[in-house]
Amino acid sequence: MTQYLDWNNSVGILEKAYEAGLFVIIIGPKGTGKTSLVREFAGRKNMKLESINFSLRTRESHLIGTKTLTDGTVTFEEGLLTRSMREGSMLYLDEINAAEADVLLRLDEALDDRRQIVLKESDGTIVKAGNGWFVVATINPLTHSGTKELPPQLLSRFPVRIRLEYPPEKTELEIARSHMTGSHDEELTQAVRLANTLREAAAVEELFYSPSLRETIAFGQLLDGGMAAREAADFVFGNVYAQWGGIEHQKVSDIIASMFGG
Amino acid sequence: MHQVRLQNDALMEIAMFLVRRWSGRQDMTVQISDRVGTRTRLADGKVIITAPGKRIGDDFQRYRQFRVSLWYESMRARHCQKILSNDHAFGFILNAMETRRVEGLGRRLWRGMDGEIIFNYACMLAERPQLHSVYGSARIVEAFYQQFMFGTIKGEVQASRLEKIREAAAHACDVTGQAVREERSTKWLESHVGKIIRILDIDSLMTVPVSLPFMKAGMALTEEELRRIIKIVADNREGDFGSADQDAVMKGESLHDEYQILLDETQKSQNKGLAPEPVGIQTPLAGDVDETAIYDMRLIGGLKTRMREWKSGWTEQHVHAGDEFDEEGYVEGGKPFLTDIRKSIRTRIVILLDHSSSISSDALEYKKATLALCEVLSYLKVKFAVYAFSTQNRTIVCWSVKPDGVKWNRTTARRLAQIVANGSTPLAEIYDRIFPVMQTRSPDILLTLTDGEPSDPDAVRGMIKALKSLGISMVALGLGPNTVRATMIAGNLRRLGYEKTVAVSRLRDIPGKVMGILQA
Repeated sequence: MTQYLDWNNSVGILEKAYEAGLFVIIIGPKGTGKTSLVREFAGRKNMKLESINFSLRTRESHLIGTKTLTDGTVTFEEGLLTRSMREGSMLYLDEINAAEADVLLRLDEALDDRRQIVLKESDGTIVKAGNGWFVVATINPLTHSGTKELPPQLLSRFPVRIRLEYPPEKTELEIARSHMTGSHDEELTQAVRLANTLREAAAVEELFYSPSLRETIAFGQLLDGGMAAREAADFVFGNVYAQWGGIEHQKVSDIIASMFGG
Repeated sequence: MHQVRLQNDALMEIAMFLVRRWSGRQDMTVQISDRVGTRTRLADGKVIITAPGKRIGDDFQRYRQFRVSLWYESMRARHCQKILSNDHAFGFILNAMETRRVEGLGRRLWRGMDGEIIFNYACMLAERPQLHSVYGSARIVEAFYQQFMFGTIKGEVQASRLEKIREAAAHACDVTGQAVREERSTKWLESHVGKIIRILDIDSLMTVPVSLPFMKAGMALTEEELRRIIKIVADNREGDFGSADQDAVMKGESLHDEYQILLDETQKSQNKGLAPEPVGIQTPLAGDVDETAIYDMRLIGGLKTRMREWKSGWTEQHVHAGDEFDEEGYVEGGKPFLTDIRKSIRTRIVILLDHSSSISSDALEYKKATLALCEVLSYLKVKFAVYAFSTQNRTIVCWSVKPDGVKWNRTTARRLAQIVANGSTPLAEIYDRIFPVMQTRSPDILLTLTDGEPSDPDAVRGMIKALKSLGISMVALGLGPNTVRATMIAGNLRRLGYEKTVAVSRLRDIPGKVMGILQA
């Protein structure tokens, strides 16, 4: 397992929030290591981690639980939120702003100061959160497809907000290097610069897609597999733009050619 | 004529993108010129570049030279503090040294350019004049340039002169090498030009008539000839570029696929161009307009966020019979099935933008708002066309910003950016001009954005009636400085026979209002 590189002291901030009993929201574009950060923190604290990735299809029942028929008996099967509260584990709500409003409302109930939830779906039992219950959520910036603005009352349940942007060039290089076995520093440096150039273009809407850290890591791994740098750059960074037409693709191919040659 | 313009659109789109990425300056603009040589205006952030057609070799080789020239100009924009005129010896020599300096700095990052740079040197050498055809002291400057840039001279000069030229070129090489190693600036390099001029024993202000950009335009190069020149350059500049694969430099395979895509795209555009160009409608053609000035990213971002649901295309709805059973829906007594319903705006809309003089005081805000509208329509994949009207040289002009069937992109945004608000509001005349387009394309809605009453109300009434008879829904958006005035304008417009009129007093509300009309 690759070691997480805590380049902006995010683990330290999570630690302080945990000690103060405050919930945390991490804001940042895709592929900046939000999930890796949460996994790292849970690992360091030796806590059980319950994760849910929100989408339009996420229902209240996934969080709270649902009645089910087992051997002729109606039982209540707990959802992730209820189980995590009862056990006092760590709950990771990934892409929370992709959820529907009714789901967010139930979350709001659990996250308020009382840290409890009424199981109206079952027998009305009140589930109180166990000691050390800790919730971390992530949101992608609003420009990300399928995301909505988080209601302010829910946002206020997460008073500690960590911004996770793309790391500086050197750090990104170090992160990508940590996922590789071989040494391809020169090519990898070029790939990081390429990624940053494309991100700059995407930030001003000159391109429709901004590459993430995952792409830089994938580039390194293809080099490990013996692929030539130009070819790997085409596969990882270039070809994705073909979906927006030949001109978009050529723009990026030209930049790749001027960085990696033939 | 039409084909040439479309070809330039694709080239321009790519050229602008590359220059901005290579130079790291988002404000850069490019003008492709058939008349003047390549140069960069640092203060304006503008690169004027010689069109590929004015270069030598076959089409692919011309494109390669065009691309390398763009790269050099981008490097100048990134690394130069000033660019002097090439017309006198001092500026000419400094610019030559700057070319080598920015090349050295640029190659640190853009390492894939080496082969293309060598190829470009070969073409530049082929283009340079034979020394016997250059007269007077200019021959010394030209000989210095050739020796410094290519490591060789074309033709002969007096032996005593040759010594001086070689000495000056060697000194210039040392100085530029040091400038690259120590990351020295233009000013530092400039302080060394005097010594080179002294070695050459010329007047620093003497006129240099050797800049002849189009002297050999269109000249074909045989493969053998090109190979021979590439070998000369590659051998002479081995110290800078290492041993280059001359065969690869010759073929330029790393760019071949990209060039093919460009050709295909041009071909596609040319096919579309077979449609007749409507009479009386012009396309704004200036390419060197900085469209970034009218991009309001916050406004565009906010709109896209608001309209995201339409973008995702699908929404869930509870129904009596459907694809997926929803237990909760059943328990709650509602419709128990879920089904996905496609959300899309199928309405085809033509937008007509008033650019009369009354809008000129708020022209920038107006353009930002209308551009944001176009961006969001394009984002939602709505089929739309944009026309505008203004007065130019005392003549009413109807501009085609984005015709039907053309993608909204930076080129169309540049067209919008360059329209200057001027003149009156002769709506009937404009409707008359776009009438043939409306007849052939028959959109669902023709939306007119105007801030004043038309100068010819009766004629407008007639035209609106005629357009309505084509089955087009006529909608007007009345723009006013405040709510009262906007409502009054909208009221007046309604009396002209529009089916719907909407009042807008804040320009930033335009996109939202139009989206409201589309969703209705």
